[in-house]
Amino acid sequence: MMMITGGAFSGKLEFARKHFELKEDEVVCGADCGLADVFTAKCVDHYELVVRRLLENGAGQEAPEAFTERFIRENPEAIVIMDEIGGGIIPLEKSERLWREQTGRAGCRIAERSDTVIRLCCGLPAVLKGTLG
Amino acid sequence: MMTLVTGGAKCGKSHYSERILDGFAGKKFYIATMEPYGEEALAAIARHRGLRAGKGFTTIERYTDIDELILPGDGGRPAGVRNSGCGILLECTANLCANEMFRDGRICDPTEKILRGFRHLRDISSELVIVTNEVGNDGISYEEGTAAYIRALGEVNRLAAQTADRVVECVYGIPVTLKNQRK
Repeated sequence: MMMITGGAFSGKLEFARKHFELKEDEVVCGADCGLADVFTAKCVDHYELVVRRLLENGAGQEAPEAFTERFIRENPEAIVIMDEIGGGIIPLEKSERLWREQTGRAGCRIAERSDTVIRLCCGLPAVLKGTLG
Repeated sequence: MMTLVTGGAKCGKSHYSERILDGFAGKKFYIATMEPYGEEALAAIARHRGLRAGKGFTTIERYTDIDELILPGDGGRPAGVRNSGCGILLECTANLCANEMFRDGRICDPTEKILRGFRHLRDISSELVIVTNEVGNDGISYEEGTAAYIRALGEVNRLAAQTADRVVECVYGIPVTLKNQRK
């Protein structure tokens, strides 16, 4: 597994596309892809939004932690792109707090299982873990 | 030589940026982009003025149109005898971006204009330091204007980083070098 993180609009997807020569249909976006697609896609963009949708769907839906474990198990070669969202003021809204927490936990698990973790800032990649081949 | 210094709020960006120009022998200009509106802005400006005092900067207040800036003293001079050997510190891109975007009650795309400004400053100086900010790390969905601003500043930062010889992110005062092509 490979993780790419950084703030919004820091150049994560562009970096992934160039570095791994990803084709358009090899990237699914957490904002609107089928949740099942996460398990087969080569690259999942906005995993933090996958977490958000799992929380919004509520009861009857797999909890984010279990979902992420299954993701790690079933798609261990995935390139996962995730916004860093934990900065700033803790949100007043409970659902926003829950989303931040669950995204943070998912990110820690994905980083733990990734051979390489890259963080983008101003479009520049910094290797936080492993090496960039 | 152009250095881009980034980081979150109050991470020591200004102090580090000034230090880059500490040993600089030529004339030094400080371009302040923050408009002095409100108590907090005035307090921040006073604090930064205090930090710069005695460091030999000539302050220029310039809130927009950096691409058309003429340094004091350069106006009537021919190109060869301008302040071309000077040092320039611009602070901060986040203010500049907001000032350029939200003008005359409309939202403009400021990216091209700001980058043109940075290239202009690079051309008229021998040491340029640009301070910017990281605003896209809180995961909050903002209304349209703010969302557009976060997107624009992200784009400005990426393009400025491409143009810069050096990019440094400050973390609690510790400079982390993200790019260095300094000869």
